Amino acid sequence: MSITRMYAIALRHYYLTTHHLERFADLFIFPIVGLVMWGFLANYIQVQSSGLAAFFLGGMILWVIFERVGTAVGIDFMYELWEKNLINILASPITTIEFIGSLVMVALIKVLISFAAMTAIALLFYQFNIFSLGIALVFFWINLIFFAITLGIFNIGIITRWGHSAGPLTWVLPFAIQPFAAVFYPISILPQVFQKLVWFLPLSHVFQGMRYSFQTGSFNTGDFIAAFGLNIIYFSLSVCFFAFMFKMSKKKGTLAKL
Amino acid sequence: MNKILEVKNLVKNFDSYRAVDGLSFSVSEGEILGFLGPNGAGKSTTINCILGVVEKDEGEVKIFGKNLDSNRVEIMKNVNYCSAEYVLPWNLTLYENLLVYAHLYEVKEAKKRVLEVLDELELTDLRNKSIRSLSLGQRARANFGKALINKPKLLLLDEPMASMDPDVVDRGIRLLKRIQKEDKMTILYTSHNMWEIEQVANDVVFINHGKIIAQGTPLELTRQELKLEAKEPNLREVFIELSRRQMVEETS
Repeated sequence: MSITRMYAIALRHYYLTTHHLERFADLFIFPIVGLVMWGFLANYIQVQSSGLAAFFLGGMILWVIFERVGTAVGIDFMYELWEKNLINILASPITTIEFIGSLVMVALIKVLISFAAMTAIALLFYQFNIFSLGIALVFFWINLIFFAITLGIFNIGIITRWGHSAGPLTWVLPFAIQPFAAVFYPISILPQVFQKLVWFLPLSHVFQGMRYSFQTGSFNTGDFIAAFGLNIIYFSLSVCFFAFMFKMSKKKGTLAKL
Repeated sequence: MNKILEVKNLVKNFDSYRAVDGLSFSVSEGEILGFLGPNGAGKSTTINCILGVVEKDEGEVKIFGKNLDSNRVEIMKNVNYCSAEYVLPWNLTLYENLLVYAHLYEVKEAKKRVLEVLDELELTDLRNKSIRSLSLGQRARANFGKALINKPKLLLLDEPMASMDPDVVDRGIRLLKRIQKEDKMTILYTSHNMWEIEQVANDVVFINHGKIIAQGTPLELTRQELKLEAKEPNLREVFIELSRRQMVEETS
């Protein structure tokens, strides 16, 4: 692994972000507007139940961590396709692992910036401190990021094989998962059939665990282990899927035409 | 002379279509090989196999005497590529783009090298302009800049000056010849502009349907294929003659 080559990709995205105003929207506006909206709703609900407000704001902040990383990996990859620059990169000494690793690194930096902005606004305007979750927050982060990277790699695998036409999946996939992740409500309100299925989704364990921590002030290790175990399985499957798709794309010559 | 690039029995199929059919050739150190053929002859597929972005079905590619499959990262540090089909990211400035690629190729003293390349290509005044705002000719030079950033020992040029006006092409050729002479670069050069190839190539390989159908210096090919005692190469006529001959053979 070469840090210099990974730094080159990070530098490319730093320049890209500073030249594209809409990239700041990704970093700040989308997360902040979402938080403000849920914040108002939380304020309204606070009158009836103070616990629910924390579920909403906590759910929103943690969801953004997952959603931003998951989509950023795919979007940053798509930029190389949109700008017809992918071959220039792949023809360089960079390895596939370094390239994807650097996209993940860039996504993590971005999500840290979004997280800091959201945390500050939640604290200032809604007196909600996400750090009240304590050390549990770190464990939630681990599972959220892990699954987001898994989804990002899966997504790149699809784009690598089917090109631009598969690009919208970058936004659609997290959106399609959200109802089953039980971000803003307990799993028990889902229809019976989904209640069983969602336990196979690491995100459901994370958000269930978050609500548990807010309610009891303690950390549910079982949820963490279940989410982490599922993440290992899905990550392995996603890497295998990507490797297969990448190989197929090279074999069929579609990679050079992306 | 040292063989910088060796392609042996390269085969590439796309489903039932054979794009490259047992192709073998080599390029020696400091040589510029013109790699010619009609559209769909297999030139770009061959270059993509050499770059490793298309997976070959059979054969071997050796660069600097090393197998590409098992030494790709090490080899690619000293190889670069340029095609008019691929542009540098539009929203980054010329300087930013070259700096990104300098790091990607792990160039030592990257910033210094970027300034050197800008100066070499007479692009210093444009360093803070985005690629989007450059003219077609300036973009071609910017692409060259990216291709030269790591002082490659092997340069693969896939129609680098396609769609450029004659003045831009002429300047590009002069520049390439100067840099090639100074750095003793080895170049594989494809183009549909036969004048470009006559100006730069020591040797020419002409392919069709993924196979070599003629090989030699531009003058040798002219004499051999046109049956003339020519004093000057005329690759345009050679190209037309070989392409049409092939078509007639296929029809009959």
